Amino acid sequence: MTDEPGSGALRVASPVDDADRQVLVDLGEGRLDALEELYDRYRTMAYAIALRITADAALAEDVVQDAFLGMWRHAERYVEGRGSVKTWLLSIVHHRAIDAVRRRKPATDLPDVDLPPPPQLISGDVWPEVAGRLDAIEIRAAMGTLSDVQREAIQLAYWGGLSQSEIAERTGAPLGTVKSRMRLGLLVMRRALTGATGEADAFEGTNGMSEAHP
Amino acid sequence: MTLSCAEVRDLAAGFVLGALQPDEDSAVREHLATCQDAHAEVAALGGVVPYLAESLEPVEPPAGLRARLLAAAAAERPAESAEGVHVGAQEPAGASEPVAFPSPGEREARQALRGPGWGTWALRLAAVFVIAALGTWNIQLQARLSGVSDDLAAAQAYQAGVAAVLEVATRSGAQTAFLAAADPATTAAGVAAAAPDGTVVLAMHDLARTTGNQVYEAWVIIGEAAPVPLGGFTVGAGGTGTFHASTGLAQPGAILALTLEPAPGATTPTLPVLTLGSLAVAGT
Repeated sequence: MTDEPGSGALRVASPVDDADRQVLVDLGEGRLDALEELYDRYRTMAYAIALRITADAALAEDVVQDAFLGMWRHAERYVEGRGSVKTWLLSIVHHRAIDAVRRRKPATDLPDVDLPPPPQLISGDVWPEVAGRLDAIEIRAAMGTLSDVQREAIQLAYWGGLSQSEIAERTGAPLGTVKSRMRLGLLVMRRALTGATGEADAFEGTNGMSEAHP
Repeated sequence: MTLSCAEVRDLAAGFVLGALQPDEDSAVREHLATCQDAHAEVAALGGVVPYLAESLEPVEPPAGLRARLLAAAAAERPAESAEGVHVGAQEPAGASEPVAFPSPGEREARQALRGPGWGTWALRLAAVFVIAALGTWNIQLQARLSGVSDDLAAAQAYQAGVAAVLEVATRSGAQTAFLAAADPATTAAGVAAAAPDGTVVLAMHDLARTTGNQVYEAWVIIGEAAPVPLGGFTVGAGGTGTFHASTGLAQPGAILALTLEPAPGATTPTLPVLTLGSLAVAGT
């Protein structure tokens, strides 16, 4: 796997992100006004994610508060990284929301949310910065290019917090099929977002195109 | 569990979506941390994931969340957030060390931090800091005294207020708080004390003068509950204000906050929160 995927449009440093980084520096110095600024910038998006996952307004509030407090506490740690502040924050919100939901199901094993993301997921040239150019409608349009089963698999994982085995169980599809659906769904969405046509296809060949319906 | 590169590629989509079992998840992380291969597929697939979040319409969180967040943040790092008034005594262990994502366990740790546990020295320290803060402020005030009687009156009013705070602070089971500026537009700060019988006394300086029906409203925030109004006061040209309530619901770890309200009788705070501080019990 030596392809350079996403040499398309998914990598533009934005002025917004520079401003975010300055906020993080201020945050590292313990300035409450920086926390307030960060909160004002991302509170509606963070709350939307938490609410969607938890479907519980009080729990969603806790999740958002904990996520911003995490930034407040660990701002210094971030500054050493290179990714988008927004992406970092939103992934913390997502992790915590999923964690909160799984916590309500006592039998469920919990992943370790303490672990920082691997470098592959935080390097600055990977995480897309084009958010300013794409609105929710365009992104939903990109999701519309997924097949129903791909979208279902991705949504059960990302919004439902289900593991791929649980998705297989729930949908009655073999585990391998679920993996393919998630993978292809992400690649299809990537292609729709970037307008790229070539590189993404390189990944699709490796897993086959199995869409078997049991 | 040790994974081959092929196995990691097979798990990549589940990994970036957070859909792996914990043991698989940590095995993938372990592999990525050491593998010579760049595993570009992880980046390619992972790069899409933030857009899933962005497909949502933004939702405005409840208005009280901002105040709670800021109060909790200020309570964690009071020394750094204070403007001129250095509390300094409550440095959370390891707060400056880089730690991985906050864990659920930290929630308990934070609760413990906010709660009692300053120890018996806290009150003595508090008194020292109150006096130091008062002295500093007096010096600043005197330096800018220009014969305006308002300033003299303000200095006297603040001293009287601080004396009242100290009186309550020395009662058995009393709690004290330093209120530090929480909004960039203000340098307002002050001290407060709360007694078990519900008495809450607050002395503030550097507040903007109130006009019309405006009042400064004091709030107590306990845990995750909505802020409860304690009452309001007006401020003259001197910028000082003292406040006395006899039915305060204060308890250790509670946050005292101050907002500027357009009229008396507010039931929810009008943001921004101007100053806030966390009550700590003495003598336990």
